[in-house]
Amino acid sequence: MESNKELSSQFISYYSKFTNKKLSLLSFERVFGGASRETFRILVKDETGSEEKLILRRTQESSLIETSQSTEYLAYSAYQGTLVPVPAMIDINEDEGTLGAPFMLMQQLDGAAASPFTPDAYSPHEEELGEQFWSILGEIAKKDINDDFIDQFDNATEDPCWKKELDKWIKVIKEDSISIEPILDAGIRKLYENPPKEPKKKSLVHGDYRNGNFLFKENKITGILDWEMAHIGDPLEDLGWALSPIWSWQDRDKPAYLLDRQASLSIWEGSSGLTIDKNDLKWWELFACVKGMAIWISAGNEFKTGKNVDPINLFSPWIPGDIHLEIILDILEEDLNET
Amino acid sequence: MKPEINIALMHAAQEILTRFSPLIEDEYEQSRLNSWGALILISAMKFNQSYSSLAEENDSIINWLRKTKQIYTKDLLEEIDEIQVEEGAEQTILDEQNQLLRAILVKAHKEVDLKEDIELKKELLNLLREMHSHRKVSDLIGLLQQADS
Repeated sequence: MESNKELSSQFISYYSKFTNKKLSLLSFERVFGGASRETFRILVKDETGSEEKLILRRTQESSLIETSQSTEYLAYSAYQGTLVPVPAMIDINEDEGTLGAPFMLMQQLDGAAASPFTPDAYSPHEEELGEQFWSILGEIAKKDINDDFIDQFDNATEDPCWKKELDKWIKVIKEDSISIEPILDAGIRKLYENPPKEPKKKSLVHGDYRNGNFLFKENKITGILDWEMAHIGDPLEDLGWALSPIWSWQDRDKPAYLLDRQASLSIWEGSSGLTIDKNDLKWWELFACVKGMAIWISAGNEFKTGKNVDPINLFSPWIPGDIHLEIILDILEEDLNET
Repeated sequence: MKPEINIALMHAAQEILTRFSPLIEDEYEQSRLNSWGALILISAMKFNQSYSSLAEENDSIINWLRKTKQIYTKDLLEEIDEIQVEEGAEQTILDEQNQLLRAILVKAHKEVDLKEDIELKKELLNLLREMHSHRKVSDLIGLLQQADS
């Protein structure tokens, strides 16, 4: 793999040509934690002294989540100029010759992302950020998806939304599992036995909407990031994922470490104009655990086989993997207690 | 007596986090090293329990399957009867046995799910929780936060 120095040199050469300007590089830093792409924070200056902040997302040979960058680009593009804050896209390049791997380039937004495992990350602005967080998710769900738009996403099967997604992640589990997990197995059986209803309105699903995947500056959300798992589906899928106790593990009554559950759901309903079916949402919350397990198992497989020994691929099966198994158990127990 | 492996790992993690990491200027490389420090620290804290936890888990599964074996179908019953326990086995052998036992437990769970016995179902979930508690490292999440700060 080439060094940052080599890559930064390739980058400035490419971007100078792209903009037809004589540019100089002020900084080129890799950002830690990118699960599916290598992410770089870049600062360039042109001849007039004008500076530009950029984000480069480059495909990794072996990543935590195998996704298509065109999907991510399409999703970012869908929300330009809407109430969903997303960075302006500059370029997408599928050619490996330019920077050694396919990449996307976008403008850098103000703000910072917090770890989803830090309980007080949003203090003292939890209420304002919470209002925005759930309201933006409602806006994502509300977006009108016309047929042409749906055609651009990989959406070939006629299966119901729930089955398409569940089958996809079960395939990952089957391919990458390195041990038998009776808890996960029980969760999967439960999902297939009690499917949810098909949604009245399909939406563009972000696929990884949670705390940690948005930028904020004080009391304002400045950007929604990491759309690489975007797809057309049931809007409750995003809600179930964002509500998952894994993202507020040390304060489970406050999803995403922002607002309490009831307030969060009310804001989402108000913003999306959709009504939540409690049983269906419950299904998607269990699904979130199984999908999460698929991702953590896949990461563990990368680590164990030596394909990618980034510590995130060890951390994922150890910590989030443990937590999601515990949540599956909690859900199964709760169901049993209700019978 | 020689210093224990877990103590050695713990010191290595502390050195990584407090001595070497602060010397690194590159933000990405520093975060990556901090993550390794925290993961080594977790390994150190769980190292001594790994063998006994696995042995206890295997015992718990075997005991439960034998205790409830009257409810299973003939094929599963035969599998349960064939379970053999090797006393003082090496960790790799215990691991292999654990995977076999887990596979049998999944089959048992499917059969339990078909019954109307709520108490039995609750007992089985309790067993799964006990198994999970033997293995989990998520209770050490605080260590990662300290390493990150």
